[in-house]
Amino acid sequence: MENSMSQMNRPATSPSPVVFLLFLALLAVLVSNAAGQTPPKSPQNIIVIKQMHFDPPSLNVKAGDVVEWKNEDIFSHTVTASDGTFDSGLIAPGSSWQTTITKTGDIAYHCRPHPNMTAHLIVQPLVGAEQHEQAGAQSTETSQASLRWRPPTKPEEFHPILVDFTAALLPLAFLSDLLGRLFRKQGLHTAGLWMMVYEAIITPFTSIAGWWWRNSEAGQLPARLIVVHEWLGTAAAVLFILLAVWRWGFHKRTITPSWTYLIAVFIALLALVYQGSLGGAMVFGQ
Amino acid sequence: MKKLVSTVLGMAMVCALGSLAHAQAPTDPQIVGIVQTANRIDIEMARLALKKTTDPQVKDFANEMISDHTALEKSVNDLAAKLGVKEETSSTAQQLKQQALQERRKLNTLKGKSFDREYASHEVAYHQTVIDAATKTLIPDAQNAQLKSALQGAAPVLQGHMQHAQQLVQSLQGGGSGF
Ligand SMILES: [Cu+2]
Repeated sequence: MENSMSQMNRPATSPSPVVFLLFLALLAVLVSNAAGQTPPKSPQNIIVIKQMHFDPPSLNVKAGDVVEWKNEDIFSHTVTASDGTFDSGLIAPGSSWQTTITKTGDIAYHCRPHPNMTAHLIVQPLVGAEQHEQAGAQSTETSQASLRWRPPTKPEEFHPILVDFTAALLPLAFLSDLLGRLFRKQGLHTAGLWMMVYEAIITPFTSIAGWWWRNSEAGQLPARLIVVHEWLGTAAAVLFILLAVWRWGFHKRTITPSWTYLIAVFIALLALVYQGSLGGAMVFGQ
Repeated sequence: MKKLVSTVLGMAMVCALGSLAHAQAPTDPQIVGIVQTANRIDIEMARLALKKTTDPQVKDFANEMISDHTALEKSVNDLAAKLGVKEETSSTAQQLKQQALQERRKLNTLKGKSFDREYASHEVAYHQTVIDAATKTLIPDAQNAQLKSALQGAAPVLQGHMQHAQQLVQSLQGGGSGF
């Protein structure tokens, strides 16, 4: 009985891993494209190097901001972080250099040929900075309203709620099917099937809420992180639907999903963990 | 010992430039002559260093001296042309050249680490001398306001070179004895 089942599903499952692998390749291309892309955001943080000075000598920026140094002096200078996080190399007169600042805190930098040229960036974590700006206006309201439930209306409320479902259902779907195979329990497989289906249904909404949040936030999010996060999230939504369809196929023929399917779900799980860490990095800074 | 020699040389240069204060104040064409002589000396010294050194730090420093002093020289040339000032030589400029010649002779006899150390400590002393001359004599004596402000503008870059040379001296002292 068991034997005939596994024989039955062998020819039927062979196209699915191919589809899955193709999909993984597509995902890898998407992610690497997104990661390699320099954000088109024009830097509003410009520091002019003039007459042996960095102007302004101290600048407040947010994590993920692009900062540009323009050398308007007659000498070549460098922009060298004292802790080694960035070094421009020589910037010739008339040219400029830019970098994305990810490290938070007070970053002192100097010019290597001219150690008397010193300045610093004060980098605030993204959300911390925004909370700080709004703190004055909203402090009383938030302290009173914090425990009272209100229906979610904003994308920054929807996305985290939906993320909870996406994050919980996938590992449970995986675990149920894994344990089902190990202990040969049909009930666990049924649970695994339905949780994968729920995962496929709910994740597109999670993804949509994420895009909505990103659009309402405009340029406030760390450029590199958000590009990877938004495309990986969209890819995950599509991937989960394919996995659910694949899983449904097993259900029609036999109760037990193949190991290939389980490995595929596990890889998807790893991608989801990475995705979650990116989201966390954006919300809580580094 | 070498440090002592370069200190003495440095002091000699201070005396050479300091004597200006007591002698007749230099004219604007003479000031331009002194500044350009000082620039050319440092460029020549850096070219010598590039020929003789193998230390990447010393090479970087020498390249910066060539680049910065060439830029300074050009900006002074442009300003002088604009103001219609033709550079003139003076006893101070001659003494600077004389001392540079002595230093070159000395550097020519040295090799490796000892060359690097002598070059670096000479650059500290040399920039200190030029800064002192600029602040005590050349800037106060400059008649033309644009020339005066150009000299004031050059002070920070000389200060930067001096600090960089000091760092170089220290780092050459640090890991040097083993080589
Ligand atoms: Cu510089």
